Amino acid sequence: MAGIYLHIPYCIKKCAYCDFTSFACGGVPEAYADALISEIGLVSRAGEYPAEFDTVFFGGGTPSLLSGDQMRRMLGALNESFPIRADAERSMEVNPGTSSRENLFAYREAGINRLSIGLQSSHDALLNVIGRIHSYAQFCETLSLAREAGFANINVDVMHGLPGQTQRQYLDTLRAVCDLGVQHVSAYALTLEEHTLLWEQVECGDLTLPDEDETADMQDAGFDYLESRGYRRYEISNFAREGYECRHNLNYWENGEYLGLGVAAHSALRLKNWTRMANTGAPDEYIRLLSRGKRPVSETIRLYPADEMFECVMLGLRLVRGVDRAAFQKRFGVDMADAFPDAMEQLRRRGWTRESEGAIALNRAGLDLQNEALGFFM
Amino acid sequence: MAYPNELIRNFSIIAHIDHGKSTLADRMLELTDTVAARDMAEQLLDSMDIERERGITIKSSAVRMFYTHTDGRRYMFNLIDTPGHVDFNYEVSRALAACEGAVLVVDATQGIEAQTLANVYLAVDNGLEVVPVINKIDLPSAEPERTAQEIEDVIGIEAKNAPQISAKNGTNVQAVLASVVDIVPPPKGDPDAPLTALVFDCIYDNYKGALSYVRVFDGTVREGMRIRSMASGHEFEVTEVGVFTPAPLAVDELTAGEVGYIAASIKSVAETKVGDTITSAERPAAKPLPGYKQANPMVFCGIYPADGAQYGDLRDALDKLKLNDASLSYEKETSSALGYGFRCGFLGLLHMEIIQERLEREFDLDLVTTAPSVIYKVKLTSGEEQMIDNPSNLPAVTEIESLEEPVVSATIMTPSEYVGSIMEICQERRGVFVDMSYIDGSRVSIHYVLPLNEIIYDFFDQLKSRSRGYASFDYELKGYERSDLVKLDFLLNGDMCDALSTIVHRDRAYAKGRAVAEKLCEVIPRQQFEIPVQAAIGGKIIARETVRAVRKDVLAKCYGGDITRKKKLLEKQKEGKKRMRQIGTVSLPSDAFMSVLRIN
Repeated sequence: MAGIYLHIPYCIKKCAYCDFTSFACGGVPEAYADALISEIGLVSRAGEYPAEFDTVFFGGGTPSLLSGDQMRRMLGALNESFPIRADAERSMEVNPGTSSRENLFAYREAGINRLSIGLQSSHDALLNVIGRIHSYAQFCETLSLAREAGFANINVDVMHGLPGQTQRQYLDTLRAVCDLGVQHVSAYALTLEEHTLLWEQVECGDLTLPDEDETADMQDAGFDYLESRGYRRYEISNFAREGYECRHNLNYWENGEYLGLGVAAHSALRLKNWTRMANTGAPDEYIRLLSRGKRPVSETIRLYPADEMFECVMLGLRLVRGVDRAAFQKRFGVDMADAFPDAMEQLRRRGWTRESEGAIALNRAGLDLQNEALGFFM
Repeated sequence: MAYPNELIRNFSIIAHIDHGKSTLADRMLELTDTVAARDMAEQLLDSMDIERERGITIKSSAVRMFYTHTDGRRYMFNLIDTPGHVDFNYEVSRALAACEGAVLVVDATQGIEAQTLANVYLAVDNGLEVVPVINKIDLPSAEPERTAQEIEDVIGIEAKNAPQISAKNGTNVQAVLASVVDIVPPPKGDPDAPLTALVFDCIYDNYKGALSYVRVFDGTVREGMRIRSMASGHEFEVTEVGVFTPAPLAVDELTAGEVGYIAASIKSVAETKVGDTITSAERPAAKPLPGYKQANPMVFCGIYPADGAQYGDLRDALDKLKLNDASLSYEKETSSALGYGFRCGFLGLLHMEIIQERLEREFDLDLVTTAPSVIYKVKLTSGEEQMIDNPSNLPAVTEIESLEEPVVSATIMTPSEYVGSIMEICQERRGVFVDMSYIDGSRVSIHYVLPLNEIIYDFFDQLKSRSRGYASFDYELKGYERSDLVKLDFLLNGDMCDALSTIVHRDRAYAKGRAVAEKLCEVIPRQQFEIPVQAAIGGKIIARETVRAVRKDVLAKCYGGDITRKKKLLEKQKEGKKRMRQIGTVSLPSDAFMSVLRIN
């Protein structure tokens, strides 16, 4: 499998918890759209990409700031430049505060077939605290418009561990989302990133986060609830109805190849070595470089096989089904259990593993402490 | 050619912390053109950054200046600056031994403080003439007349004509210089007699090597001379003699009555003991000068590198600091919790803080320090006696006949409205009231006998905060007293952590045990299993808290752009764990020790 990721680094307003590369802007500047299309052409002509792509993903920022026309141009350029399968999963992230009926229809028409809508909570007061620009009502509106436009594969992002959030509020949100019948739920614990607005508010005592135990309780209760409603947990924070797992993200966790386009986008490609690259994080520089016909890559890391192997473990053990032993064996010529005998022993001693002939996985206890588990593989 | 003795004045300035001693010294340097005003850094004699930042003087320093008196003659002044904090009393007495007089600076807004009094008595005991000076008259709350009266009443010296000055603004500082000539007697001494020179300080200069600060009492010392330490009998050749201007300046010779430095082919200051008498190897003096009270460390703590690999760096840093600070003592120590480090002895808590700060700042070390301890006297059932400066070395309870702790005589001076709260603090800290007397209508002097281990933590801070900064405090070691002391231990998941052990009074043990256990619970990060944290006396558990097991330790999100970052995060987490101290099965961050220290 292989995917293409396109980064749209613009938002109406940055959320309080966000440390992604994004800049406040009412729309996506044409200069950026043009630069992205130039990059598509440049990378295509350079020829260093996988033989076939299975997924395309527009992330952000706020990709739903793209106009229908911009989206059409981009998907057009992608189809012209890269071997993208006809049945490819083509996802985009949508902020309910920015999605017009017109745009949603245009996205669908342009070929987008999966939406990931950022809800976070069904409580407007909480949405306000974390700096979201939309209400729960706007989310419902967006969802129904999306369905009208023909989207039948929809993910909703929700969060727990928000400032002042109770378990009841969190379960309310999950119930609402399940009742709406979406296909996929991403249920994240809030991560307090340094130097975000939220971090500052918590540091100076203006806001209080639920404590470690409250957050863990919320998470456990939420997982149980989602599973009880037929959403199967397939990754640490991701739940889906049978057959609706996000293929684009599965490719990351299987440590597959992907092409990242746009400001701050990352790529992982099998060149001579397993190679990771990152584009510049500054839109001005990105646009300037591409206007001169230069690739905007700012960092290239060639990895040793040992590092690549650790990445496969680190990412694969995020999946409930774990690391596919045959794929691992094929990639590295050694079985994962043989490659890491000490680490495996430590995991077994703690009762954190589920091992079968086909895969090595962490069980629920192991997934909860995945960082500790990975420590043994380093 | 020797400077005539009748034109030499050797003096110190003594004052309570913040009363303006270093500022007055600065003004004197300016007025005598020793240092041009434009070259003045605030508090010139305080050459260490820490001294300037904290506004205190830690090391003595000596500077030579020339002053033209109203009689038209040019006088050589040797000013020996002294520290003003109780911990550094020792340095004060060293400086005083080299002088004939002392300028006593009293803040006109504060009056005499306990510290001032202690230092004046030191000066008087050393036979010095005291020149009283009333400072800070520029402040609206200054009461110079009342301060003069207080000096007369409390110290018993004439102060009616004492110069009233503002060292800050330079007002009337000239009068201080004049008083020094008039009141301080010139040094006696025979430049042709056999050499006797008192070493009152040592420093290590990066260019000149070890420099001994000396006051020459008799004879003459010059470059090329062979000199002998009368304490050790070692002989050295003088490579340079000089004076401080305040930068070291080589001169031809130092003769009887003068103050300056001697550089010799002495490898380290350790070989020249402060208090030593230096004499000529060819024509030695019959007997050494009287030494003075040797300072003994009173407070001890373990100092360990946060990163065990820095042990060698820590040792080198201590060696270097020791060159400039003879009162610092240290020896190698091993802790099962902290690995290799040093047991260090200090004059007091401020001294300890300053050394720690210098180690961290000047040598860029990351340290873990254990709780400060005093020296306990242990009478064993076998009849033997042991001195214990590290609680973990305390013998088993069954072997102990009795325990004694050091006690101090403390003098606290305060405006009378704070007497109640100050007595409360002393009472809380097991103080025994001795007496109380009025200095004047509104200020009192209170005497207590207090256990030293009750004042080494935050006694001074408490005193200051409960008297709105007005109370001052001084103490001297009184001796040892029998006391009901116990060793308080802490166990993490059943394993004893030696670095946390302390010796406390039995009445305090429960409260302290509980407080420390609670604090540990706060600072120990959750681990894969539940960790009982216990406080124990002997084998008996007196408090128990629990660090609950970690429930979630996982990154919520990890997508294409996060992979490199996530790897770095995991590496950092692993690195952090490596830096933690391993107590049995429990990982303890280095700062856990520090945060526990702050509990009392």
